[in-house]
Amino acid sequence: MNKFFKKLSLITLASAFVLTSAIAGPAMAKDDLKGKITVNGSTALLPLTLQASKEFQKLHPKVKIAASGKGSVTGPQAVKKGIADIGACDWDASVDVPGFKAFSGQVANKVAVIPFATIVNKSVKVDDLSTEQLKGIYSGKITNWKDVGGEDKDIVVITRSFGSGTRVNYQSKALGGGDIVKKEKNYKEVGSSGDMKTAVATTPNSIGYIDLTYISGSDIKAVKHDGVAATTENVISGKYKIWSYGYYMTKGEPTGATKAFIEYVQSKKFQEGSLKKLKFIPISAMK
Amino acid sequence: MSMSVQKALSQEELGPKFKVGGKFTKRQARANFMNGLFKNYFLLSILMLCFVLAMVIFFIGRTAILTFKEVSIAEFFFSLNWTPEEGYFGAALFIINTLFLTALTLIIAVPISVGMAILIAEIAPKWMRNFIRPVLDLLVGIPSIVYGYLGLTILLPILREASGEGLGDGILAAALVLTIMILPTISRISDDAITAVPTKYREAAYALGSTRLQVIFKVVLPAASRGIIASIILGMTRAIGETMAVVMVIGNTAQLAKSLFSPASVLTSNIVMQISNVEFDSTWNHALHMMAFLLLIISFILILFIRYLGRKGGNEA
Repeated sequence: MNKFFKKLSLITLASAFVLTSAIAGPAMAKDDLKGKITVNGSTALLPLTLQASKEFQKLHPKVKIAASGKGSVTGPQAVKKGIADIGACDWDASVDVPGFKAFSGQVANKVAVIPFATIVNKSVKVDDLSTEQLKGIYSGKITNWKDVGGEDKDIVVITRSFGSGTRVNYQSKALGGGDIVKKEKNYKEVGSSGDMKTAVATTPNSIGYIDLTYISGSDIKAVKHDGVAATTENVISGKYKIWSYGYYMTKGEPTGATKAFIEYVQSKKFQEGSLKKLKFIPISAMK
Repeated sequence: MSMSVQKALSQEELGPKFKVGGKFTKRQARANFMNGLFKNYFLLSILMLCFVLAMVIFFIGRTAILTFKEVSIAEFFFSLNWTPEEGYFGAALFIINTLFLTALTLIIAVPISVGMAILIAEIAPKWMRNFIRPVLDLLVGIPSIVYGYLGLTILLPILREASGEGLGDGILAAALVLTIMILPTISRISDDAITAVPTKYREAAYALGSTRLQVIFKVVLPAASRGIIASIILGMTRAIGETMAVVMVIGNTAQLAKSLFSPASVLTSNIVMQISNVEFDSTWNHALHMMAFLLLIISFILILFIRYLGRKGGNEA
């Protein structure tokens, strides 16, 4: 009996020790190029953040970066609550935008230009949609692909839920401020860019919108907007209108490791290298 | 226990001159200390759990109650208009959808799972029983996201084919996924309830000339009914609280499910879709907490009901 207790107490002690060291470990290290950066917010910017953090951690092995994504508004909110050091957001959250109030005391650091595109399932034969046609589809007035030059099939509308930065930008730039209206049929809301891709890829006759980075594979295709293809070249030349700046929101001016990380993302090396490869556009390219 | 008694005896026999007393006291003190330590440790464990439960109720409830500062109780429980960005907080549609989804799930799941339980407990040969029971136990443990993923990739295309719908998402898809999820839970526990019916009941019924079907329906099922109902309620709590699997196939649109295929949203799926996108101190956030609180209350009531059934059954047997 005693032996058993001894063993048990030993195990308990050992596990308690492991637990405390696991919790205390990362919190202990903190000076200039050590530290922990938490990034939360937009899933549209997530691929960029992940790539940047991989490269940054190679340069500064003592910096730990944890990145996750949900809707854009999560970013500045997490910064406000102190959960995250950087809030990735697809709009400048330090000023008012339609639907969202400004987050006071936060600084918006421009990190990229995000092009967005209308996407359809591979079964859809249409490859060009105008602002008016998109307005009709998202407001529920157009419900069949034949009305926009496709086959006689119902249009399945997939949209991001309220709070998504992709939705905010798409609504203001692709739909000309038009509404996205709930429907009884053939309408679905998803919570992230990844879910959007999965939903459009697996649902025949569906339409959705996403940032250009996510478009890959043969199940989804980007359609032209008013005759202009969604390419980075067309965004830079000013022909393609559906894009926005991506921002890293911070509580006041960034400091320490957070500052170094944002500077790395804004550096020419990253902007012209990995960022371009991910189909984002360097901020310096926009006039 | 026995060890210390033995020691006590030997001390009496040997007397003080052998000086085993000191050593013994130390040993005894250590044993006492260890016993006390672990008693308190175990007590602390359970107290911690109670503390967490109390905190959950307290914090969810405290935030939830703030909803009614800005939204009237009547609007929250009876309005069908959930458009938080414009200031409408009618949660009735989620409550109705949740009840609808749960009812539909049970209608599909209960006959099948009780049938499975009867097969396992009464009809199947021993080798089959020994095979199915572990399989069901395994199924109970599969994470819900796996069911959701299968629903998204396999069930939805089938539903689209079968119904001619464009999307396939909706209450029916969610109910089918939930059915598959709760089947093993209900049938495994019903199986135990049926197996627990004394053999003498069956023998008596057979002796009176009953057929097997009569024995099952007239004797075994009524005798096991309390256990079966408890298993159904257990499955029901799982169905009501399920989130991830439902989110993937229900369409996540805040509207009343007027048909089996209209995209809808239930309490759980709406909370998980919206909670991260709302401001911390907003009415919207409070309303979502209120919905979580409602879910807590519903599952408490169901669990109390199971306890009540169990006690009643215990008194009769």
